[in-house]
Amino acid sequence: MTAVSAPTRTKHEVAKAADLPPGARKIVKAGRFQIGVFNVNGQYRAVLNICPHELAPVCKGPVRGTMLPSKVGEYTWGCDGEILSCPWHGWEFNLHDGKSLHDPKCHLKTFEVLVEEGTVFVLV
Amino acid sequence: MSTTLTPTLSQLETPAAKAQAIRCVDCDVHQSVGLGQFREYMPQPFKRMAESGCAPGHLGLYNPIGVTRPDTIEADGKPAASKPDGLARMLLEPYGIDVALLTGGVYGFSSHPDPDYAAAVCSAYNTYMIEHWLPKDPRFRLAINVATQDPLLAAQEIERVGAHPGVSAVVISSATQHPLGQRTYHPMYAAAEKMGLPFCLHPGHEGTGITNAPTAAGYPTRYLEWHTGISCTFQAHLVSMVCEGVFQKFPELKIVLVEGGISWLAPLLWRFDKNWKALRSTVPWLTRPPSETIQGRVFMTTQPIEEPPEHGQLKQLFEMFDAEKMLLYSSDFPHWDGDTPDYVVRGFSETFKRRVLAENAIELFGL
Repeated sequence: MTAVSAPTRTKHEVAKAADLPPGARKIVKAGRFQIGVFNVNGQYRAVLNICPHELAPVCKGPVRGTMLPSKVGEYTWGCDGEILSCPWHGWEFNLHDGKSLHDPKCHLKTFEVLVEEGTVFVLV
Repeated sequence: MSTTLTPTLSQLETPAAKAQAIRCVDCDVHQSVGLGQFREYMPQPFKRMAESGCAPGHLGLYNPIGVTRPDTIEADGKPAASKPDGLARMLLEPYGIDVALLTGGVYGFSSHPDPDYAAAVCSAYNTYMIEHWLPKDPRFRLAINVATQDPLLAAQEIERVGAHPGVSAVVISSATQHPLGQRTYHPMYAAAEKMGLPFCLHPGHEGTGITNAPTAAGYPTRYLEWHTGISCTFQAHLVSMVCEGVFQKFPELKIVLVEGGISWLAPLLWRFDKNWKALRSTVPWLTRPPSETIQGRVFMTTQPIEEPPEHGQLKQLFEMFDAEKMLLYSSDFPHWDGDTPDYVVRGFSETFKRRVLAENAIELFGL
């Protein structure tokens, strides 16, 4: 039986960390992917720039908070700065795990992000 | 792709040649034009009213996404849809749309209390669009806007500009004071029929100004409810038009239900046909069941396409009425609930794709 080697991933430079402060984003080409890299309250998150609904450039949408599930008649704001909303139809995705807020099976493809010596990289 | 494609269409003699030249017709494009741009065309006192900001009311319902897609706002802060070249660059070219029906617009002024002002706004808008937009791109076609408070004024406007070669349809707001089949509205239909223009209903102002409540149950609390309920207004208008004899009285008139939903049609017609069998004597001019009466006379645009859990369910639904002949592709660009052409027809037969993306519209609008 042939040993299967782990797939090798390539590091793609995104930006200097100083140029990607909390709340900022950059959309980069990495290999065959277009990826949005976001600074989410100090943590870097990267997702594929394709919405699973109608294939919109989801990473161009606004990032904000949202209303958390609550009792009838109550409104609770949360996840501030963590929710990416598609610019076409407003579908909401949590940038921490890529999952949509309306269907756990519906999610954005996520990528790992590294910071080395002040530079942000995405692993593809 | 060539921007000089459509002028050559008149030289294409056979329908087949035209169908081959036009890949996609978009039947609902909202170019962004403001009162300030065309108020110069308005006589007094309406120009002063426009300057003072007289506009249709707003229910104040909250859409957290915003109506205009944020990614269509260009670097200069202006919507792409406010410029002919922006519309071409962001919509027509990426999606291979060879004809765009510009719906606008100002049809929402039908909810304004003053019928003369609403008519003056629509008239100035139509003139402005003919002079400043149609010459900019040969792919543009105009759906002239008319206000429904005074159907006689609407009829005059349809006859005034309806013969322009770039005018392909009439569009009104589906937010009205009465069900649209009622005879007060018939002068508009007579004018549209006379000018050979399909007559479109478009939602957007239900419950504002002098129009009826946005649902038969009253005023909903949220935009989500309001938007979902729009289909109900369209159902009421369609039933009214059939029962009031609009399709008998105006045998050449074509009605287009724009952005009113699709999935409700088949079950509504089942109920309608059943009731007609028993109550036919109250509408004796209806010599055929409602489902047959609307065949070839009523069309529906696809956006916002319904999304059942299984795509196959949409296909089943489209087998329950003559979807292949009735549906017209529409993007609703640049609004938040738009659809791309490939998304709408994915998984359907090549024939269905051709009919819905282009051929139905080519025939209907005489492209």
